[in-house]
Amino acid sequence: MSQQREPAVAGLFSEEDGVRLHGAKCTTCNTPYFPKAAHCRNPDCDESKIEPCSFGGGGVLWSYSVADFPPPAPHKYDKPFVPYVIGVVDMDNGLRLVGQMADGLEAMRIGARVELAIESIYHEAGKAFTSWKFKLL
Amino acid sequence: MQEVVVLGVGLHRFGKTGDGVVGEKSVTELCRHAVDRALKDAGVSWKQIQAVAAASSRFSGGKGWGLNGNDVVEDLGCTGIPVYNLSAGCAAGGNAFNIGYSLVAGGIHDLVLVVGGEVMPKGMIQTSGVEDANDPEFLRQRCVGMPGPSFWATLARRRMFDYGTTEEQMAKVTVKARKCSESNPYARFQKAVSLDEVLASPYVSNPLRLFEICPVSNGAAAAVICSKAMARRFTSQPITVASSAVATIRFDDALPRSLANPVPSGASFHTEAKAAVMKAFEMSSIGPRDISFTELQDNTCYYELAFPEEWGLCEPGEAERLLEAGETAPTGRMPINPSGGFVSFGEATTAMGVFQIAELTWQLRGQSGGRQVPGAKVGLAQTNGLGGNATAAILKR
Ligand SMILES: [Zn+2]
Repeated sequence: MSQQREPAVAGLFSEEDGVRLHGAKCTTCNTPYFPKAAHCRNPDCDESKIEPCSFGGGGVLWSYSVADFPPPAPHKYDKPFVPYVIGVVDMDNGLRLVGQMADGLEAMRIGARVELAIESIYHEAGKAFTSWKFKLL
Repeated sequence: MQEVVVLGVGLHRFGKTGDGVVGEKSVTELCRHAVDRALKDAGVSWKQIQAVAAASSRFSGGKGWGLNGNDVVEDLGCTGIPVYNLSAGCAAGGNAFNIGYSLVAGGIHDLVLVVGGEVMPKGMIQTSGVEDANDPEFLRQRCVGMPGPSFWATLARRRMFDYGTTEEQMAKVTVKARKCSESNPYARFQKAVSLDEVLASPYVSNPLRLFEICPVSNGAAAAVICSKAMARRFTSQPITVASSAVATIRFDDALPRSLANPVPSGASFHTEAKAAVMKAFEMSSIGPRDISFTELQDNTCYYELAFPEEWGLCEPGEAERLLEAGETAPTGRMPINPSGGFVSFGEATTAMGVFQIAELTWQLRGQSGGRQVPGAKVGLAQTNGLGGNATAAILKR
């Protein structure tokens, strides 16, 4: 059975052409942004030149934690709550990115290679709402 | 610049809604108690106060606009004085102290009341109050779900990787803190805990456990500050404010506060806290090794290990050894949070910066009883708040 999938927040990412997170990049100072930034925020940048820049791929796990209890609103989750790992990953495109880990705590190791995936994080009104997650390679 | 002194301080003991300490008291009642104590301690009457610098709360009072200083003035009696309501998340109390300090130092007012109080909702603090796709906090919570404790746990896990810190060592910070709380009549928890008890408490966000994370509390704190010239009328032993500083986070900070940051080129942890503390050192010409004791924001025991190293109170990677040697206890070489800290008080968010000023003042007067730092001459206080806010203050006798 195929359930309708919908991003938890519209416009941030897509999965039709592979995992793509929709960010931006300043072409003057090479600073990457996610989500999109309207202008460059690097105080050392001489001239903001922002271009849309989508990215996928992977990176290296910088650190991680566990949501052992359900986070308060506006987080949404399926009941009963199942604890999950939250990773902070140094992506190959130069962004340090936060996201849920698809794998369990026992498998975690700082420095491990991970890859982006789009997976469901909660269900509502017969739909699966999705977000990006990191998968250990 | 006028020299600024602390004339009097007061607290309402911290507690939890419905308990025997704070019961159902409103934030106005808690503040009233703390302010009355501070005025009495200072020997000053309410009518003499020339301005109020208050911490703005998102959770209680303030007419829903963070007008907590106006609540205090209305309750004590409207005298027409200026009120400054300062918002800086959990750093708001520190911010209010900085504005009070600046008003006196700049010669705008001679006698100022600084106050912060909270009645907190139960459970984990909801960081984002809005459902708005333009709010980075909203995006982080909806797309990931990363509560405050996970933010701290991420840092703690990284420290375990960088320095080999163990879960037992982090638990020992709590044991030390709760030992101090036994002799603090204002702490919410006033009972020591054993290492086994801490390690038996459940994970809130692995690797951090329930007893290693501060809960939310209700409480209030107040301080009366004035110019040194004026202080002579009230006391022969004022506590001097050597410096008070405020800073915000840097672009190259190590941990993304929303969804992502550029990977920083070097270690750049807690850039807001470090900047505030460095500024406080610079303004006062007091160095990290001159500090007798520190009251820092220990939302979790991790910070008691990380902050002293980042501020130069000790060497990087040395904190665990100092802790285990008893050097961070009140009688040690580098006392940290002799009050018992947030872990013993719980966090009445916007009161914390003022609570620290009260503890520093008592310590420097030698009035801290069983938790007294022997011969305390110089104290350092620091707070952190949502939005990348931080404050620091150095007091001396
Ligand atoms: Zn740029």
